[in-house]
Amino acid sequence: MSEMNSERAEPNLTPLLDLVFQLITFFMLVINFKGASMDLSLKLPVLGSARPLDRQGKLEPLLLNIDAEGGVHCFGKLEEIEPLITKEARLLKQQLSVMGTPEGAEFPVGIVIRADRAVPFHQLNHVIEVCQKHGYRQFSLSAMTRQETR
Amino acid sequence: MRRNRRRRRDQGSVEMNLAAMLDMAFQLLSFFILTFRPAPVEGQLSLNLPPPVPVTKVDQQPKENNSGEAGDLVGLDTLHLQVMANDRGGVRQVILEASPVVQGEMNEANIRRLDRELQAIFGRKMIAFDRIQIAVERRVRYGELMKVIDVCTRQKTPDGQQMRKVSFTELSTGGAEAP
Repeated sequence: MSEMNSERAEPNLTPLLDLVFQLITFFMLVINFKGASMDLSLKLPVLGSARPLDRQGKLEPLLLNIDAEGGVHCFGKLEEIEPLITKEARLLKQQLSVMGTPEGAEFPVGIVIRADRAVPFHQLNHVIEVCQKHGYRQFSLSAMTRQETR
Repeated sequence: MRRNRRRRRDQGSVEMNLAAMLDMAFQLLSFFILTFRPAPVEGQLSLNLPPPVPVTKVDQQPKENNSGEAGDLVGLDTLHLQVMANDRGGVRQVILEASPVVQGEMNEANIRRLDRELQAIFGRKMIAFDRIQIAVERRVRYGELMKVIDVCTRQKTPDGQQMRKVSFTELSTGGAEAP
């Protein structure tokens, strides 16, 4: 019994810890913080010519998810489009005036529209019209670059 | 001297208990694995969408300059397309200015046909179209419309840039432009 105690085996945990830290590093690097603003249940249209958005250092665009029934979701919340865009445009104008952008100029920030492929045009057009009314001109329409295999 | 130093190091060696750190690392790892959602393979179609312009001049202008040459449309800067819907929300017909160019769904053949027609128009150097205005029947589904928009954005403006300026108007069922 006493012999067993004196020869207690202690595994070397250092390599295991190294491995775990490497895995953590991997997951930290590939974590998708923008995922929260995207409604991944939407079935986007498929367009091979769609390219990743290059913001070229511009301000972050506003991302709107439009479901098949025409409901607008922003950061997971179903929103009324008119008050949402009014608020966003007001905040953006304040931000731009602080940055010294002349008033009345076209917004340098765009709207990213992630709409379900089944949404009827008139509902999409309503969202676009509201955004245009508040000064937005740059739009990005999201599409899958290839058909999902799932 | 050397022996003394070695002895001191042996006596004062500290062995860290790595089990606690490993526990914490495993917890972090579990968090990242559980919250891991790979980003979808998404792209964007970047467009400049100005509000639509009135379309009253479209039919008149070619008739006024009816000299029978390709330059008939000189002075126009907006090309007009109409997208008509079928019962299922797909595309039934695409009308370019006044003439129907596509009949039926936007399949590969019709996409190529529309592309050819647009290329023929944009290829005429004397016509400076810098915008396409698409009048769309309200029932048309977004997925089908995107195929038309995609073809439009493949065209080149007179300065060699890709066509990015597109406007939308709504057609009520039957083809009348919504107020």
